[in-house]
Amino acid sequence: MIKKIIFYSGFMILVAALSMAQVWKAPDQEKAKERAKERVKFIKDYKDEDNILRKIALIEKGISLDDVKNNYFLLDSPIIKEREDHYGPVRFAHKRHAALINDCTECHHYRPKDESMLETTRCSACHQDSFNADHPERIGLKAAFHQQCTECHQEEQNGPVTCTGCHLKNVPDHKDLVKLADNSDAFQVTAECLRCHDQAGEDMLKTAHWNWRGPSPYTVKHRKDVQHGKGTTALNNY
Amino acid sequence: MPAKGVDLKMVAQNVGHSSRASCGACHFNGGGGDAIKHADLSRQLLEPDRMCDVHMGGYDFSCEECHKTRNHKIAGRSSSVAASEGKVSCLDCHSDSPHYCGSLLDHHLNNHVKSIDCNTCHSPVYAKCKPTKTWWDWSKAGDKKRKPKKDKYGQPDYHWKKGEFIWKESPKPTYAWFNGYMDRILMGEKVDIHKKVINLTSPVGSIKDSVSKITPFKLMKGVQAVDAENDYFLVPHLFPRDKNDTTAYWKNLDWEKAFIDGMNAVGLDYSGTFKWLETWMYWRLEHEVMPATFALSCVQCHESLKGERTCNRCHQDSKNVDFKKVLNKGTDFAAMKAKGRDVGDLINTTDYIDFKALGYKGDPIIHGGRFKKLPMGYKQNNN
Repeated sequence: MIKKIIFYSGFMILVAALSMAQVWKAPDQEKAKERAKERVKFIKDYKDEDNILRKIALIEKGISLDDVKNNYFLLDSPIIKEREDHYGPVRFAHKRHAALINDCTECHHYRPKDESMLETTRCSACHQDSFNADHPERIGLKAAFHQQCTECHQEEQNGPVTCTGCHLKNVPDHKDLVKLADNSDAFQVTAECLRCHDQAGEDMLKTAHWNWRGPSPYTVKHRKDVQHGKGTTALNNY
Repeated sequence: MPAKGVDLKMVAQNVGHSSRASCGACHFNGGGGDAIKHADLSRQLLEPDRMCDVHMGGYDFSCEECHKTRNHKIAGRSSSVAASEGKVSCLDCHSDSPHYCGSLLDHHLNNHVKSIDCNTCHSPVYAKCKPTKTWWDWSKAGDKKRKPKKDKYGQPDYHWKKGEFIWKESPKPTYAWFNGYMDRILMGEKVDIHKKVINLTSPVGSIKDSVSKITPFKLMKGVQAVDAENDYFLVPHLFPRDKNDTTAYWKNLDWEKAFIDGMNAVGLDYSGTFKWLETWMYWRLEHEVMPATFALSCVQCHESLKGERTCNRCHQDSKNVDFKKVLNKGTDFAAMKAKGRDVGDLINTTDYIDFKALGYKGDPIIHGGRFKKLPMGYKQNNN
């Protein structure tokens, strides 16, 4: 009996290991996802420094690009998702921004009052929920992200400034939205999609993927043509 | 349409973003199978290895994150097909000064961006995870008795429907100056059929054009039919329409009938005589970016940095910096070979992109760049 139990438990572990091994994961993204899930303790008190002096102080301390530990973050905090979840996470190239801006204090504008803590902390340590009655001066994490990113991108005229420039929009669950009888045919399904997305239907009809032809602005001698494509004039040797 | 058994209601209720699988259903299988046509796109990208494509394999990028859509129009340029609905460039995200890690080389590497496409260094070999077809001779098709032989990758060298093939895994690309525009031959366009080779597509660019960059391409070579009197390429009818089809090549093995029917379908005259002609197509390589540590090293292109004199041609020697180490950091073909890639012939290569073929007098460090001809403190007899 015991032998049997050992055998079956071993068998189950093997099956579990095999099924786990089959799940493909992108390693860098997985690490960033794990980090994005973390919640950190709220920092109540910050040191009120003049930004100009803080910048010099950090340089004097020798804090530089080499101190950037994480090149890449996924901005996907549960603090924001708790209230609303309309958009997907944002990929944030941390070190690339640090190098481009060359001034850590642009984002890490204050430090914790507690001198034993690091000079730079993550955004979500100071900016958390949007409506914290104890800290009315503190904007929430969502506002902090949007203010910091958008304003800088606008000022520098560099980087995305629209919602979908940074986020993919989450697709609402269509289980209840789609109203179709079982065994609906292609025309019925298309009509049901168009009930809400009529403009998308019109747009689709004008695309190169639908027509198998389209404008050819990057083909010399044909830069103003609109009729070339796989469905019309394309030649190949395979 | 659609295929039998597809539950369309279930499909509609689960509508969502596109994925590598949805785009790849067509684009990974171009040319009739996995990785055949697009050397840098294959089914491997469904669950990619980080070494094969760092964006998709490391960071789980979907196609639409770079090929952004607007009103269902999908941004991207194709070197093989004329239609385009907007362009995508590495620099859209990485900016025109993409090297920023505070390395000693950043300044020089960012200068390279003006003349060199990212993938020239960052994807030194193509089709690195799945072999791709690089030669397809249609004139050899039709021999049902010929037994296909398998090459070292296990790929067949022949198919009676299609002709003779050569496959390659992890080869060095062909490099050319490219300004983003392609020259292409379109259906019905007259060509000089007495030429030895005709480029169906070729990159536009020049060493003297400041916006042109050295860009990697897969060169797809093949043999196909041209109308010997009308001087344009022929379109054969291949797939049988039904059981009674009497003209499809893949049923009847008669090129004449296939050309008559095919050219009729595209609305062009067929003279009745054809000849086989070698054609080349340049396919730009834009995916399969490797992790940064596998970019080409300085010495892999610049032979001049292999000797005793290196950075100290211009910079003072410093005891704290090992110039040689800096210059040799990069792609390790021996390590790639150890992981099973077919790159044995590339170990210890120098002048990787062949400066002379690109129009330089030789290594630009010695002979000067394409616009700046500053002397680099090099004396021929003092090497």
